[in-house]
Amino acid sequence: MRIGVFVCQCGTNIAATVATRRVVEAALSMRDVFHGESIQYTCSDPGQRAIIDAIQQKNLTRVVLAACSPRMHETTFRRAIAQAGMNPFMLEMVNIREQCSWIHSDIDTATEKAIDLVRKGVARVRRQTPLHAGSVPVTRRALVIGGGVAGIQAALDIADAGVPVTLVEKSPTLGGNMARLDKTFPTLDCSSCILTPRMVEVKQHENIDLMVSSEIENVRGYIGNFEVDIRRKATCVIEEKCTGCMICEQKCPSRAPDDFNAGVGESKAISVAFPQAVPLVAALRKEYCRLFLKGRCSVCKKVCPAGAIDYEQEDRFVTERFGAIVAATGFEQFDWKKAYPSFGGGLYPDVITSLEYERMLSASGPTGGHIRRPSDGAEPKHIVFISCVGSRDESVGRPACCGVGCMYQAKQAILTKEHIPDSQSYVFYLDVRAGGKGYEEFVRRATREFGTIYVRGRVGKVYPRNGKLICMGTDTLAGHQVEVEADLVVLAAGLNAAGAAAGLARKLNISYDMYGFFSEGHPKLKPVETNTGGVFLAGACQGPKDIPASVAQAGAAAAKVVSLLSRAELETSPMVAEVNQMKCTGCFKCREVCPYGAIEEQELRGGRRVAHVIGSLCQGCGLCNVACPPAVIPLKGYTDNQLIAEVVEVLREPEPASSAGASAKAVEVAE
Amino acid sequence: MSGVKIIGLLCNWCSYAGADMAGTARMKQPAALRVVRLPCTGRVNPLLVLKAFQEGADGVLVSGCHPGDCHYNEGNYYARRRLELLAAMLPALGIEPERFRYTWVSASEGARWTEVVEEFTGRVEALGPRDGGAA
Amino acid sequence: MTDYSYFPGCSLASSAMEYDASFRLVSEVFGIGLDELEDWTCCGASPAPHHWGGELGILLPARNLHIAGRSHPAVVAPCAGCYNRLKYAQYELRRNQQLRERVAQVLREPVRYETEVVNLIEMFNREIDPAALAARAQGRLEEISLATYYGCVLTRPAEIVNFDDPNDPVMMEPLLRAAGATITHFPFKSECCGSYMGLAKKEIVFRASRQIIETALESGADAIVTVCPLCHQNLDLRQRQINFAWDTDFELPVLYFSQVIGLALGASPEELGIDSHAVSADKLLVKIKKTANR
Ligand SMILES: Cc1cc2nc3c(=O)[nH]c(=O)nc-3n(C[C@H](O)[C@H](O)[C@H](O)COP(=O)(O)OP(=O)(O)OC[C@H]3O[C@@H](n4cnc5c(N)ncnc54)[C@H](O)[C@@H]3O)c2cc1C
Repeated sequence: MRIGVFVCQCGTNIAATVATRRVVEAALSMRDVFHGESIQYTCSDPGQRAIIDAIQQKNLTRVVLAACSPRMHETTFRRAIAQAGMNPFMLEMVNIREQCSWIHSDIDTATEKAIDLVRKGVARVRRQTPLHAGSVPVTRRALVIGGGVAGIQAALDIADAGVPVTLVEKSPTLGGNMARLDKTFPTLDCSSCILTPRMVEVKQHENIDLMVSSEIENVRGYIGNFEVDIRRKATCVIEEKCTGCMICEQKCPSRAPDDFNAGVGESKAISVAFPQAVPLVAALRKEYCRLFLKGRCSVCKKVCPAGAIDYEQEDRFVTERFGAIVAATGFEQFDWKKAYPSFGGGLYPDVITSLEYERMLSASGPTGGHIRRPSDGAEPKHIVFISCVGSRDESVGRPACCGVGCMYQAKQAILTKEHIPDSQSYVFYLDVRAGGKGYEEFVRRATREFGTIYVRGRVGKVYPRNGKLICMGTDTLAGHQVEVEADLVVLAAGLNAAGAAAGLARKLNISYDMYGFFSEGHPKLKPVETNTGGVFLAGACQGPKDIPASVAQAGAAAAKVVSLLSRAELETSPMVAEVNQMKCTGCFKCREVCPYGAIEEQELRGGRRVAHVIGSLCQGCGLCNVACPPAVIPLKGYTDNQLIAEVVEVLREPEPASSAGASAKAVEVAE
Repeated sequence: MSGVKIIGLLCNWCSYAGADMAGTARMKQPAALRVVRLPCTGRVNPLLVLKAFQEGADGVLVSGCHPGDCHYNEGNYYARRRLELLAAMLPALGIEPERFRYTWVSASEGARWTEVVEEFTGRVEALGPRDGGAA
Repeated sequence: MTDYSYFPGCSLASSAMEYDASFRLVSEVFGIGLDELEDWTCCGASPAPHHWGGELGILLPARNLHIAGRSHPAVVAPCAGCYNRLKYAQYELRRNQQLRERVAQVLREPVRYETEVVNLIEMFNREIDPAALAARAQGRLEEISLATYYGCVLTRPAEIVNFDDPNDPVMMEPLLRAAGATITHFPFKSECCGSYMGLAKKEIVFRASRQIIETALESGADAIVTVCPLCHQNLDLRQRQINFAWDTDFELPVLYFSQVIGLALGASPEELGIDSHAVSADKLLVKIKKTANR
């Protein structure tokens, strides 16, 4: 083993406080050190050249570089020694600048410390083994789960980059919640006008395979190599044949709730979700269909001009391979009824949610854009909007902000005034959170131009009196109680992740919070990644978001996917854990602590079950290493031996430089 | 020199970067500390801390990302549990508990890092070098 | 049947004697033994916690709790206010060593504070089998609709009293339904009646209690059912004042939970002290009689 020690002067940054020459001398007395050199700027071209030359001339096999922080230049020097034909991991950087010369003033003290640190570096590099970055092949195809605006954006961006995409949507149409909205803040542009063209684009894109009425059944594999089973639910309609003429819907005798219209209005057992649905196909819901309930009916089959009805249809499963996955499953509104008996708990028909109201405002909605009280169909004149129902309310165990309520309430108040000019809207709010661009101005418009009355405080109770709904609350600014007589009450119910999000998270091996929202890889630095390599997040499935933020995140997720799939093979960091399977006892403590699900069970010949680290998933944190009872999962590059050697050596009293050793080795000091 | 030797076990992502930051800002510090870099405090085996004491360290300082900020999400929570137990055991091994500290310093807390080093070094210096050792 | 220590409190011994009478009557019918606490004092009510540094607000109920500790495993406090004070004292004593020492100093012996504190609804639910009640009630209340009114202190603060859902309490319902009564949808069941503001600032009571009466009427109730003597005072005794203040003509009887159960059992209004109320319950009583004669 032949070690070279290079001591950087960093101009005077190091040399002014650390006597680099003395460090070199001391290094030369250390075991296996065959070369020592002090260089003015190691990172400069000539500096790197000098290192490469020394390696080649002296046949060095390991390098210690005492210079700045490894966080600064480790990659630079790894590349340099690789150029000299060495394994890039046979390098140890010793930080004698940030953590020595810059923080001390006394030359002797700093030099002594630098020598200690070099001894530590030598001890460590002596125990270093060559590491080789692994590689895994990549399947160049992406899966997007959820066809709301976020999923649509992600799918289009990925597909536009030439990467094939499969988009899986559980409902019969694309669009998600945005398709339900009337107009959108802060510009009041019509939601379907901006969304429908994008939905059509997805359908027509040559690189996108759209699977509606489909769900994820099972996910296997890892980054670059997922294998996914997709369930294509039976809709009793042959998608390829259906023309979306809706005759079946008109003739169907079985009534059913209208999912798309958030339960406002009614639909039929067989129906097209809405006239702009993409794909424009009908779907049959067996749970409401007379044929399936009572055994008699088949009206739709008789009337369908395209012969698209097939009652025998069964769920089908397809299995596909993907290199990356984007989850974009969005949100649903929190069911406020149980938590708020004080608002009638669902007993008063004229207390509705904001999403139901959105459908009432929409010209294509069940009321044709006319605002009507559900109880008697009358046009309401006094409308009360209550914010933070099931958000920012610890008394119901939901402390989080819903993120969009303040803004859409202002929007709905404005639209209400436009629909019913002689109406008066009230907004009960806790704080108006209007942080986005143009948002605060938008809220001002609601009050100034549209005369919305904002009352700061919670509504404690809503109860009926003489055909009206009395909203009792406090005005915390004026410090007194207020009562507003309303014809219609609209609740800004908080947001949850979409229904089955937790189940999907378990399939994807990603984590989620108390609302079901998926957890990002890092709250600041990995906002679209997850803990599982190759799985990304877009839109409101990660947390409450408005449309601009959902679209932005979808774009970011798409960029990550495209960059990941632009490679034929993935290089994996070699500084990962590795199980010594001969000694593994199969207790799987390691699997319990691993934050990345990187540990799997393997069966050895003879049937013994042992742990195995999936190199492409391991991030090298070392948690398993410490948790392993027999200590047989070394973390490469940070093995127990290396760390112990560092500690032992740095604490060892230095021996006086053995002149014998030193004279046998050449000392070069570049002045 | 003060004559004491202190081992620092720092996570790469927060505290090591915080120590770098203190250096970049030229914040002067006592020189008794020798830093060992690790990927995460979750990689700190309590036995490594004991080994340091056994080899003659007069103090051991572990520092990682603040709870909730771990680069690996939860490594520092494991560290906290392990090191809390370790701290409780030290007196039984004849090591003054004041010689051991674990804390959280972020990459932007150069000033705080300096304070931690000053405080801890002062504390260990007041106790003086360990005689004998636990072994 | 279990025996309970019984803490009547000042109201049941004075202004709400009919509550005491009806409570004892029902308990006797179902064989529940009541042992009145020896030498009990005021629970501290509203004033004590707010005066003299608040210490009396603990010392007074603590003393009663201590006395209760001598006999039965549970003490029943029908008055919602007393119930709340006893629960509060118990909560504080459980978590505060210093307080225990201070109370012991006053009592001159270590304080006993682990006796279970129950309110009347809790005790009836525990001791009276709805089927048995139904058998005795013979549908007497079948024509009657009731607004169950719990008020505020019976269920709040929830983490201290730990009784029913503070926003939507329902514990009176099983027995009332068993007796044949209909429970109306009454959104004000746990709203404040104005409480002791009846002395300092009547208008507050007039406003708050008016809403309660009005909403109860709108809900179609023949009477309000309560367990709190102070609520009873505001809703019944002050109903005329409320009518005067708002120019309304409410006439809604307010009955104690135990009185209603008593009526279901066939007890006379006089035995139950219903004739002592300010608002006449005659219409309701006539309805009950009619049903009984069917
Ligand atoms: C009342 C209201 C008004 C709003 N108004 C505005 C506004 O004016 N302006 C604005 O910017 N924002 C507004 N928003 C917010 C806006 O709705 C969201 O930002 C947006 O819908 C988020 O898009 P998404 O694609 O992330 O989620 P979603 O729109 O929820 O779409 C998710 C999609 O995934 C599908 N899905 C769910 N689970 C699965 C599964 N397991 N498998 C397959 N598919 C699945 C769903 O069926 C759905 O199609 C409003 C929100 C509400 C509640």
